[in-house]
Amino acid sequence: MLRRLIYIFFLIPFSCIDPYQVDVPEGEQLLTVEGIISTGPGPHAITLTRSATYGSVFEGLIRPVSQATVVVRDNEGNVTFLTEGTEAKGTYFTPANFQAIVGRSYTLQILTVEGKVYTSTPERVESVPAISSLQVRTVTIPSNGSEAPRSGVQLIAEVNDPADQDNFYYWRNGPAVYILETRPDLFTPRPTPQNPNRTPQPKPCCIQCFRTEISNNQSLFVVNDDNFNGLAARIPASFIEDNGLRFVNKFRMDLKQYSISQGAFRFLRLVKQQAEISGSIFDPPPATIRGNMISLDNPDEVVLGYFMAGAETTRRIYIDKNDLTFTQNRAIIPDDCREVFGATTDPPADWNP
Amino acid sequence: MKYLLLFTFFILGCFSAWAQTDAIKREVVGRDIGQLKGIRISGRIIDEITGQAMVGATVRIPELDLTRITDNNGSFELVVDRAEYTLEFRYVGYETKIYPITAVGDGRLSIRMLQEDFTLDDVVIYGSDPEKNIRSTNMGAVTLSVNTMREMPPFLGEVDIVRSLATLPGVSQVGEASSGLNVRGGGVDQNLIQFAGAPIYNPSHMFGLFTAFNPDMVNDVTLYKAVVPARFGGRSSAILDILPKAGSIDKWGGEMMLSNYSGKVSLNGPLIKNKVSILGGFRISYINWLLESLSNPTLNNSNANFYDGNLIINAPISDKNEFTYSYYTSYDDFAFASDTTISWQNQAHSLIWKSKLSDKLSLEANGFYTLYDYGIFNRSGINDFEINSDIKDMGGRAHLNYALSESNKITIGGEYKQVSIQPGELIPTGVEEDILPKKVQNEAGREMGAHFQHELEFGEKIGLSYGLRYDLYQYLGPRAVRSYQAGKPVSDGSAIAETSYADGELIQTYDGLAPRASFRYSFNKASSIKLGYNKMYQFIHLISNTATIAPSDVWKLSDGFIKPQIADQLSLGFYNNFKGNIFETSVEVYYKDLQNVVEYKDGANLILQNHLETELIPAQGQSFGAEFYVKKNLGRLTGWVSYTYSRSLRRVITPFEEENINNGKWYASNFDKPHDLTLIGNYKVSTNTSISGTFAYSTGRPITFPDAKFDFSGNNLAYFNNRNQQRLPDFHRLDFSVNFKLKGTGKFYDGNWTFSILNVYGRKNPFSIFFDDSPGQPPQALRLALLGIPLPSLSYAIKF
Repeated sequence: MLRRLIYIFFLIPFSCIDPYQVDVPEGEQLLTVEGIISTGPGPHAITLTRSATYGSVFEGLIRPVSQATVVVRDNEGNVTFLTEGTEAKGTYFTPANFQAIVGRSYTLQILTVEGKVYTSTPERVESVPAISSLQVRTVTIPSNGSEAPRSGVQLIAEVNDPADQDNFYYWRNGPAVYILETRPDLFTPRPTPQNPNRTPQPKPCCIQCFRTEISNNQSLFVVNDDNFNGLAARIPASFIEDNGLRFVNKFRMDLKQYSISQGAFRFLRLVKQQAEISGSIFDPPPATIRGNMISLDNPDEVVLGYFMAGAETTRRIYIDKNDLTFTQNRAIIPDDCREVFGATTDPPADWNP
Repeated sequence: MKYLLLFTFFILGCFSAWAQTDAIKREVVGRDIGQLKGIRISGRIIDEITGQAMVGATVRIPELDLTRITDNNGSFELVVDRAEYTLEFRYVGYETKIYPITAVGDGRLSIRMLQEDFTLDDVVIYGSDPEKNIRSTNMGAVTLSVNTMREMPPFLGEVDIVRSLATLPGVSQVGEASSGLNVRGGGVDQNLIQFAGAPIYNPSHMFGLFTAFNPDMVNDVTLYKAVVPARFGGRSSAILDILPKAGSIDKWGGEMMLSNYSGKVSLNGPLIKNKVSILGGFRISYINWLLESLSNPTLNNSNANFYDGNLIINAPISDKNEFTYSYYTSYDDFAFASDTTISWQNQAHSLIWKSKLSDKLSLEANGFYTLYDYGIFNRSGINDFEINSDIKDMGGRAHLNYALSESNKITIGGEYKQVSIQPGELIPTGVEEDILPKKVQNEAGREMGAHFQHELEFGEKIGLSYGLRYDLYQYLGPRAVRSYQAGKPVSDGSAIAETSYADGELIQTYDGLAPRASFRYSFNKASSIKLGYNKMYQFIHLISNTATIAPSDVWKLSDGFIKPQIADQLSLGFYNNFKGNIFETSVEVYYKDLQNVVEYKDGANLILQNHLETELIPAQGQSFGAEFYVKKNLGRLTGWVSYTYSRSLRRVITPFEEENINNGKWYASNFDKPHDLTLIGNYKVSTNTSISGTFAYSTGRPITFPDAKFDFSGNNLAYFNNRNQQRLPDFHRLDFSVNFKLKGTGKFYDGNWTFSILNVYGRKNPFSIFFDDSPGQPPQALRLALLGIPLPSLSYAIKF
């Protein structure tokens, strides 16, 4: 009580943030384009969706746009058709052998089943310097309401930035593999009338597995070289949250670094800015995020999203649990590790920590 | 627990250290300009209830053995030396009034006497003429003395100048933690705030939770919101002129106050008796000390410091000449659970010389130097840096007042100011060199002005005041200036060439004539009508993408791309006082047209931006409104009600479709609040206890809601289209305070206790509503309320 009194009586951080019911206007179903084609190995994916009303999960379901004709055209007249995934509706893939070429400009063209035609402005592919090294840094994030902070690994990419051009970098997490450790000795099946026993019935096999996952970065990592043009710069390029499983032994990830256009950078910076709005008094006012897609039928129609094209470079990193200075308490899975989604007992062929 | 104990100890420590004060309330009469002899105190005595003049009442000063009888009008006049007196007012059948004063300058008293069967303990004294609002030709000038502000509920323990002004009609603030004022639909940068004549760029502590001026150092504050006298210029909305107090040339004294957020102390007295006085004050917050003592990691990692200090040396060296030197500084730093600290500091020196050259001619000259210095410091361990910015203003002004007669006065003068801005310099402070230092080009400019004003009265009924100001502005090198392809939006992509200008070389000149005029017609002594026109130019712009003055903001001088803001305002007002000035009422309407207001392109990048013209678009603005004001000047219950209906609109029309905002239609500005109501009341329960309350209501400010949500890179994003089309919920809040003076109960306890509660019923007034997609919940609207709970504060003040 006294502590509470001190808070109330002496402290300035008396601000509070809570959900608020607002009447948001009925959302328009605007075509949204997302995807990047790069110089890396294919297939590359372009996703088409329709926007929905903001505010409610149920009213505002973002729906994929299916059965559209999607092509990528370069400035030398080559046309590549993208085919819609059978599993992933609304996602269109280039052929596996398709790779973008540095120096060419690419345009995305879409014909929807309604017969509407959309096109992007041309995106030119610029070369990208390699990631010369990757470093690991443990970060902790104090979280409200709980004693233990969240934590994770920040990857810091070192890049030798070329001095003679304006560079715009964008990083994405590639596939990750880590050693998963479970506790088959603690396995306890759900009690049934036949077997009301609640004591563990250890499974004979498999404490360690290799689990593959595609983890997407929640926050976007984009930067331009204004502040480090021509230098060997170290830039935070990824964040992998410690969920109590990933960093118990070894963790491996491929980090992809893309060169993107200035327009794409501006777009991603606005996306990042919006995604990071925290509700402080210094938040910038909402900005219209304009992309590079236009409707050929109706120039006033708003098309959301951005079609990106860029060069790609990848660097692999193995992270040992000892590289972390702070870890979360180990999560316990009381089962055979092979039961976990995406896990196998065999290491990937190129597992080479 | 130990903190509470420490705090208590702190207070108790002070109890024993300071003691003793006047037993009777002594009013200061007149404005202190250092006059020593021949002070004229005039006044009028009327019946408290009927408002009838009391003919033949006696006024006596026992100290001088001087007695005067009021004339047929109930008026009297006394000529005295600068000193303390005890005035006695007597009339048969009426209660005798004993009224202690300190006479420091010409002043006017309004005395109300009560028949003996009534008992009401109050007289009100006006610093100047009680009918000033009716009789003066000037329009829209409001002077609040610090004494008046003290009657209002204190904000977090003490009088707050900026917040007090925001209770007046036509004056508002964006939200609960906002620096500065919005006057008649103008932005915060459109007000010139000057302390003792020196411009102040950031008038706030802790982002506007506190005002950065210590009220103990302030004599009075004048806000010019309609017709601004021609001697002021350079900002397009309003002038806030803060005049410092002077110390006593007679004896040493001081004040001290402690509240649960800050403490302050001031000392004043004669450096040379009857010649030179000094007044020094210092105020500091101990919020930081409290934050550090807590175990919560979020709060522990936070810090918030502020202080401000004043030194005022006043030298009324003769009846004819007076010099005042004032030094003002304020400092803030703030970090909330992060590695990034932001800090800002104001410093201002000024020297004022007032001289009475003859009975008719007087001179006022003023020189100043201001430095506003702010920075962002990142010490996260990776890519450490600091960004420093500053603004320096240096200048002087002088004007002559010539009074041909009591009703015919001329003011003529000139002004010169040079401004230099360092908009931002990034300095890497890390061990490893992985970021480049970056410096945005410095800016320099000169503002010059010449002005003339003529005030005259034709009899009692008609008054006219007209003036003209000529503003000349020069934008100077050194600077590299880009030129852009014609017919394309100004952007990095359309830059074609760069021209280099040498140090001091003229890059751009703007000039203009700013006429000011007001006309008054009085129907009678208690009512008048006034009409005014005002034009102002502004050559410096606050480039801010947030709703408050933040240290990340940039001040930008007008250049070839960003033209000076021009404001034209027309106002009409009707003023009426009732019951012998017990009630003061006014209705004012205005229309204001603004040109070249700065608006932002979507997602503008303003920090360390060398070419701000690529991020900004000029907008037109207009605002209009009607202001209603009723004030009760005396009695047990005093206070006012002010209501304003106003709109503040913006419009952007560009030849380029992609830069248009809201399709070129008029839209509400960030601080457009159509309905704004303030009720303030102060009730004297007894001689030493008063209670006061403030209720404020306003329409919520405009915000932008998303038109749709879309998915990109795993984030649910909001698509915003048109700006400021929706509104926050209405704002309303009640504040309450009790002021208790312990008098004569023992010397340890003499002083003023003030207990106040801000936001009595705990209204969560949203500062903003924002849209967020965080894991574990649907993307939704969230509300940020800065004061979500009733916030109590306690302060204790003593004079010694």
